[in-house]
Amino acid sequence: MTLLHKPATAAEAVRLLAADPDARPLAGGATLVAMMNADLARPSALVALRHVASLATISRAADGTSRIGAMRRHRETVHESDLRGAQRIVALAAARIANPTVRNMGTIGGSIAFADPAADYPAALVAADAVVEIVGPQGTRELTAEAFFVDWYATALRPGEIVAAVRLPPGPLGAVARYDKLVRVTGDFAIASVAVVAVVRDGAFAALRLAVGGCGPRPVRVAEAEALLVGARPGSPRIAEAAAALGAACDPVDDVRASAAYRRRVVPRMVAHALGTLLAPEARAA
Amino acid sequence: MRIEDSFEVAAPIEHVWAAIVDPVVIGACLPGCRSIETLGPTSYRAVVGVELGPIKALFNLQVELREQRPPSFVATVTRGEEGTRASTLQAESTLRLEAIDGGTRVAYASDVALVGRLGKFGLGVMRKKAESLGRSFAETFRARITQAGAA
Amino acid sequence: MTTQDVTLQINGRAHRLAVRLDTTLLTVLREGLALTGAKRGCNQGVCGACTVLLDGRPVRGCLTLAHDAEDRAITTIEGLGAEPNPVQAALAEAGAVQCGFCTPGMVMAATAFLRDHPAPSLEAVREGLSGNLCRCSGYRKVVEAVHRAGGGAP
Repeated sequence: MTLLHKPATAAEAVRLLAADPDARPLAGGATLVAMMNADLARPSALVALRHVASLATISRAADGTSRIGAMRRHRETVHESDLRGAQRIVALAAARIANPTVRNMGTIGGSIAFADPAADYPAALVAADAVVEIVGPQGTRELTAEAFFVDWYATALRPGEIVAAVRLPPGPLGAVARYDKLVRVTGDFAIASVAVVAVVRDGAFAALRLAVGGCGPRPVRVAEAEALLVGARPGSPRIAEAAAALGAACDPVDDVRASAAYRRRVVPRMVAHALGTLLAPEARAA
Repeated sequence: MRIEDSFEVAAPIEHVWAAIVDPVVIGACLPGCRSIETLGPTSYRAVVGVELGPIKALFNLQVELREQRPPSFVATVTRGEEGTRASTLQAESTLRLEAIDGGTRVAYASDVALVGRLGKFGLGVMRKKAESLGRSFAETFRARITQAGAA
Repeated sequence: MTTQDVTLQINGRAHRLAVRLDTTLLTVLREGLALTGAKRGCNQGVCGACTVLLDGRPVRGCLTLAHDAEDRAITTIEGLGAEPNPVQAALAEAGAVQCGFCTPGMVMAATAFLRDHPAPSLEAVREGLSGNLCRCSGYRKVVEAVHRAGGGAP
């Protein structure tokens, strides 16, 4: 019996996983091995995805869509020059994950499959309007990032399925990205995070997507708040209104990092700060 | 960790009481309950599976009724373990029934202590899980009672 | 629990060992091969005391499964050579060692960091070593020593 399988193709990986319900896919190991060390996971066998070449590539389509293979390490995503405009949000989030050593190990597919709500990718992928490509025993399918994250540590992945890639649309022309993360210490998981992709034209928001991380079972996005912000200028009361709406939509927990009450208070301030800074970048420099 | 919540059922308090002290009904409404058996007049054994993301735990629980005042109050003590004692659980719980306009309000409170591997996962998320199990129980229970009433 | 043979390339030498699926590279190094430079601190990937190089890049020894390290070049602090390297020399000179438990991990992370970031700023050194905790909280001298080893002004 093989303990650690080394399939060369995604189809073979999926076949191995489907054949043994207690087998688990192994990506970078940064989460799964920590869970095994803590006796929280006891897989019967592992299917290492490191040898599947198709999972490790990044590509950019003619229309500007970027496709990040599931096995791309955080270190690679941080420095990915193919990620432009709105897509930068994913590189900015990757740069805030843990520390350089863990970024050498962890992968985007492994991270989102674990779906820790306090991790950096979920909110960034929702803000980027990303699509998750999934491969499983029944073939391939895709889901929006919003549909992919379903609950605390739970995704829409079915047994035997793995993340194949994350696809980032080019986003609106002229979009800029901002990722703010409130932490106790650099490299920790977020107390709360705010990912924004926005187009600012003539001093006002022309388009915007915003997601809050670490404050609920899944990234928090409020479409009405985004609609409210289109046309908003610096100092507009609609910014505070939208920020309050995001705070109200959060469903945070008490944990070692912060209380739920603190998170509810801090999220509107973080959102308003991120929006204000995007509208007046010169204020940030000052 | 203290879990508190309440729900309302459109049935008379006597019906709700009869159901909520019936292990068969409880077993059928509790999400993840694999089996429940009566050990004596005041004790039960239940096997309950709980999933939290990638973690799957199977709890072997022993429930003792400490106090019963029909049709409005039950106090129980639950002790158990999962994963060959990888985690142990102890809970002191109360259940209060109150006749209200159009039915019954069921209020429950539970002080849960979880020690061991699952304790490492963080109480915040555990609380959310417990709350969602509670809501799911309430929905199933409500549907069962009102269907039985309608039949 | 079932074991299976793996061949690990450690410090330029091949070692064949029978290991379980859940055995980490750190456990193999310390308990199988008596290479005790890498330390087991948290065993959760937080502290960095177990840092080793995998194909030249620092990784957590405690989060790397031995079976998954099979075709990769593993370098531990024992493999850096008999003479202190510039990082080790600078740490010693600065007195940047208190209890010493975090030091091997710091040396591995710093050695790889300076190879990729010549003449870094103090801030860059702090970021580069942010995955290595020192429970004695002796960070200041560690950061200064690595900065100096990288050619930064004292």
